[in-house]
Amino acid sequence: MCDSCGCPSPSDNHDHSHDHDGHSHSHAHNHEHGHDHNHSHDTATKTVDVRTSLFAANNAMAQANRDHFDQIGAVALNLISSPGSGKTTLLEHTIMALKDEMKIGVIEGDPETDRDAQRIRAKGVPVVQLTTGGACHLDAAMTHKGFHLLEKEPGYAGVDLLFIENVGNLVCPATFALGEHERIVLVSVPEGPDKPAKYPKTFGTAQTFLITKTDLLPYFDFPLEEARSEALKANPSLKIMELSATTGAGFDAWLDYLRDLVRTKKGEKAA
Amino acid sequence: MHEMSLVQGLFEQLKSLAAENNATRIVKVTMEIGPLCGVVVDSFQFGFEILSAQEPMFKETELVIEVPEVTYTCTSCSQEQVTAGERPDQCGNCGEFLLTTRGGDDLLLKQVEME
Ligand SMILES: Nc1nc2c(ncn2[C@@H]2O[C@H](COP(=O)(O)OP(=O)(O)O)[C@@H](O)[C@H]2O)c(=O)[nH]1
Ligand SMILES: [Mg+2]
Ligand SMILES: [Zn+2]
Ligand SMILES: [Zn+2]
Ligand SMILES: [Zn+2]
Ligand SMILES: [Zn+2]
Repeated sequence: MCDSCGCPSPSDNHDHSHDHDGHSHSHAHNHEHGHDHNHSHDTATKTVDVRTSLFAANNAMAQANRDHFDQIGAVALNLISSPGSGKTTLLEHTIMALKDEMKIGVIEGDPETDRDAQRIRAKGVPVVQLTTGGACHLDAAMTHKGFHLLEKEPGYAGVDLLFIENVGNLVCPATFALGEHERIVLVSVPEGPDKPAKYPKTFGTAQTFLITKTDLLPYFDFPLEEARSEALKANPSLKIMELSATTGAGFDAWLDYLRDLVRTKKGEKAA
Repeated sequence: MHEMSLVQGLFEQLKSLAAENNATRIVKVTMEIGPLCGVVVDSFQFGFEILSAQEPMFKETELVIEVPEVTYTCTSCSQEQVTAGERPDQCGNCGEFLLTTRGGDDLLLKQVEME
C-alpha cells in the first residue's frame, strides 16, 4: 500500500504500524479467516467461514489517512458529483476567497488529464493530480499517495484545509471512504432535482449537499424545496446549501461553513 | 464499474485462503451484499463471471449472493420497517418521509468452499 513501508498488498493481512516520511501510522489488516481443523483432511472439500468485509482494507487505509489529517490538524473534504457540476470552479473561487486566511491544498482525481490541477495551480495553492487510469473513483490508497505527493509541493506544510476532488461520478465514489472528515455532494441546477432519489447511497453517506449554479434557476425546472426534501429523505441529517460561483450568491454561507470546520479542527488539536 | 475492482480484491483474498488451506480450486463462494452498500448485484455477478473465467482456480466456482435486511426507522413515530427489498417511500404508520437506516451497508465474504 504505501511505497515506503513494503507491506505487500491489502489482502495480505497483518496488523502493523510503521514510520515513514516523518509520520507513523498503523495499517489494520484483518486475519479473520477461520481455521476449522476439527474435521478430516481426507475429505475433498473444505468449508471456511470468513465474514470479512470487502471494504475492510480500504476502510483501514481511510482510517489511517484520517488519523494523519487529525495529527497535522487539517480538515479533509471529499467532493463528489457528476462531471461538470462545478467542483473545480467552486474550488477556484473558494481558494481566491480564503487563501489569505488559511492554507489550502488540493488533490485532484481524474480518469485521464491534469487540466483541473492546472486550473488550481494557477490560483497559487499546492495541488497534485491523481489520474486513475480510467477508474471511476478515488480510493483510500490513492488518497494516501496523493497527500505524500502534496508534501513535496511548496506551501503545503501546515495545511489547514485539504480538498479532494473525486472523479466525476455520482455513484461509485460513495462506496470508498478516503479518510475525509466530510463528504460533500454537489448537484448543479441543470441536472434536475431528482438526483437524491436516484442516488440514495451517495446522499446517505454525505454530510453536506451543495446545490450549484443557482444563477441558472430561472432557466431550468428545479424546485429548490423538492430537491431539499428529497435529499433529506435520503439523509435526515444532511446540511444543505445553495450557491452560484458565477454571481457569488450563497458563497458567504459556504465560506463560513469551511471556516467553522477549520476552526473546530484547530480547537480539537489544541485540546 | 467499481464492482470489478471489488471482485479483484475478493479473488486476491480467495487465492490466499486457498493457499493457506492447501486447496487448488474454489468450489463455492457465499457473499452478503447489503442493499445499501453501493454495489450493484448484477455488476458484481458479471465481474465475477469475467474474472473467474480467466483462472483455473475459479473454474465453475458457484457464487451465492445473500441479501441482508435493512431496518428503516421513522424519524417521527419511531416505527420500524425491516426489509431486504426496496427502500420504503414513507413510514407505514404515520406517513413520514424521513427514515433513518440501520444495517445493509456492507459487502461481506461469508463463506468459502474449496477443494
Ligand atoms: N452558470 C454557471 N456555470 C457554472 C457555475 N459553476 C461552474 N460552471 C460551469 O460549469 C462547467 C463545469 O464546471 P467545472 O468546475 O469544470 O465542473 P467539475 O467537472 O465538477 O469540476 C464549466 O463550464 C463552468 O464554467 C455556476 O455557478 N454557474
Ligand atoms: Mg473538475
Ligand atoms: Zn504514509
Ligand atoms: Zn504499510
Ligand atoms: Zn464504479
Ligand atoms: Zn412514522
